[in-house]
Amino acid sequence: MKAIPIGMYVPGDSILHRLDPRVKMGVTLVLMTIPFAIHSPWSYLTLSAFIATLVLLAGVPPRTLWRTLRTVFGIAFLMFFLYLFTTPGEPLLAVGPIALTWQGVLAAGGQIYRLCLLVITASLLTFTTSPMQLTHGLEAMLSPLERVRLPVRELAMVLTIALRFVPTLQEEIDKLAKAQRARGADFTGGPLRRARNLVPIFVPIFVSAFRRADELATAMDARGFRSTPHRTRMRRLHLGYRDLLAMLIVLGLVLTLIGLG
Amino acid sequence: MHIRVENLTHIYNQGTPLERTALHEVNLEIEAGERIGLVGPTGSGKSTLVQHLAGLLQPTTGRVLLAGTPIHSKGATARSLRLQVGLAFQYPEDQIFEQSVFREVAFGPRNLGLDETEVKARVHWALEMVGLDPARIGPRMPFTLSGGERRRVALASILAMRPRVLILDEPTAGQDPQGRRALWEKVGQWQQETGMTLIIVSHALEELARLVERVIALRAGRVVADGPTREVLSDARLLRDIGLDVPEPVALLQALRQAGKDVRTDRLLPAEAAAEIASAWGLRRAGA
Ligand SMILES: Nc1ncnc2c1ncn2[C@@H]1O[C@H](COP(=O)(O)OP(=O)(O)O)[C@@H](O)[C@H]1O
Ligand SMILES: [Mg+2]
Repeated sequence: MKAIPIGMYVPGDSILHRLDPRVKMGVTLVLMTIPFAIHSPWSYLTLSAFIATLVLLAGVPPRTLWRTLRTVFGIAFLMFFLYLFTTPGEPLLAVGPIALTWQGVLAAGGQIYRLCLLVITASLLTFTTSPMQLTHGLEAMLSPLERVRLPVRELAMVLTIALRFVPTLQEEIDKLAKAQRARGADFTGGPLRRARNLVPIFVPIFVSAFRRADELATAMDARGFRSTPHRTRMRRLHLGYRDLLAMLIVLGLVLTLIGLG
Repeated sequence: MHIRVENLTHIYNQGTPLERTALHEVNLEIEAGERIGLVGPTGSGKSTLVQHLAGLLQPTTGRVLLAGTPIHSKGATARSLRLQVGLAFQYPEDQIFEQSVFREVAFGPRNLGLDETEVKARVHWALEMVGLDPARIGPRMPFTLSGGERRRVALASILAMRPRVLILDEPTAGQDPQGRRALWEKVGQWQQETGMTLIIVSHALEELARLVERVIALRAGRVVADGPTREVLSDARLLRDIGLDVPEPVALLQALRQAGKDVRTDRLLPAEAAAEIASAWGLRRAGA
C-alpha cells in the first residue's frame, strides 16, 4: 500500500512555508472560490499564472505535484465525459442519441482545468503547512465558536493527536500486509476474498491502536493533562509583514480578476 | 534452496523529499542449509534485505533469485518459491489476529492449500518445536498469553509452513534474558532438525557466534564484510567501524596481546578465550 500523496507535507523553507497558517488557510479558501466566479480567458490566464508562481515559490518537486494530480484522474475522467456528452449545443458528431457538441468540449475542458486548479491550490496549502500548523490555524480560526460552547480546543487536540498517528498507522498497515503475505495471505482476487483477507491486517491494527491510545492516555494523565485549563503554545502564531504583504497581493489579484470578469 | 542476490538496490520513497537508499548494489550468494548471521547498526538495511529475500519488496534495481528463478516474477512458480521462505518480522507477535492459537498457527499451512489432517499435524509439530503444549495452548485465545508465549506462537505460525529458508529479524528483541536463551537454543534445534537455511538478524554477537557459520555485515546499505563467523566477529576494527560492540572475549584477548602476550584474538566464546589464555600461560585446563 502506497502512502497517500494528497495532503502530504513537504518540509521546506520557502516563503510559503513561513507564512502564518491562518493567512494561508484564508487565502486558499479565496483562491479556491475564484475559479467558480471568473469567466473570461484573461482571468483564467491570470489566475493560472498566479498559481504557477506559487508552485515555483513553494519549491514543490514537479513529481510530487504530478502524483497529487494523478489521484483525481478517476473523477476527472468521469467529469470529462459527463460534460462532453450532456452539454447541449451544436452537434459536432452524432451517433444515435449521443451527440458530441462544441460546447461540450469546451465545458468538459473547462471543468477539468478548474478541477486541476482546485487540487493544486489545496495541495499547496498542505504541501507547505505541517499538519500541526494546520491544526493551530484551524483552532485559531474557529476560536470565535467557543462562545457558542463548541469545544474548539479539545477538537484541535483530538485532531492533532489523530494527525500525529496517521504516518504510524500507515507504516503499521504496510508492515502487517507484508508479514501476512509472508504467511501466504493473498491480497488479490475478487472483492469478497479481498475483504476477508483484510482481517489479518485490521485485527492487529485495532489491537495496537487501542493499546497505543491507552498508553497515550496514561502518559498524558501522568503529566497532569486536563482538558479545561487554558494552554499556552510552544510556537505562537504571529502575523508578520510577510503575511500582510501576502494578503495585499491576493487582494490585488481578486480586484484584478473582478476587473477582468 | 540456493539464494542469489544480484546488484540489489532499494530506494524508499523514490522521487519524494523523503527518498532514502536502504540498499546499494548488494550481491550475495547463499547455499542451501547455510546458517548466516546478518549484523549492522540500526538503519543499515538489514530488514530491507531480508524482506527482499522473502519477495516482499520490489527492487529498485537488481534482482533476487531463488533456486534460479527471479522471486518477483508473476505466476505460480515464483509464488510457491516465495512461500518456501519463512520470514519472522521484528516483534512477530504483533501480527497475531485469530481467536485461538491453533487457528493462528494454522493460517499459513491453510494458505498453502493443505488438507485439514496435514494442517493439524503441522500445527502440533510447530507448537512443539517452540516448546508449547498443543493440547493445552492450542485452544486458548492468543491475547490471554504472556508476551513470550505470543512470540513463540508467532514463530510457530511460520515454522508450520515448513519453510526451506527461515529468516528471523531480531528474534529476541524485547525478551527477558531467560526467554532469549531458550529461544536461541530452540532456533539451533529447528535448524538441526530440518536442515533449512537459517538467516538471523541480531545484535547478540555471542549467541550468533554459537549458532551461525557465516556472518554478513551491512553498513549504510552496503555489504562491508562477508565471511566465516570467527573472522568477521573477531575483527574489532570492522565492528567498531560499523558501531557494534566487540565481543568481550575478543576485547580481552586483544588487551592481552597489546600488553605483550602472544595470544590469538579470534576466540569468540568465553570458554574458547579461557582455553587460549590458559595455553598462553602454559597452564593445563582442568579436564583438558
Ligand atoms: N517502509 C519504509 N519507508 C521508508 N523508509 C524506510 C522504510 N523502512 C526502512 N526505511 C529506511 O531504510 C533504511 C534501512 O532500514 P532497515 O532496513 O529497517 O534497517 P535495519 O533493519 O538495519 O535497522 C533506514 O534509513 C530506514 O529509515
Ligand atoms: Mg530492522
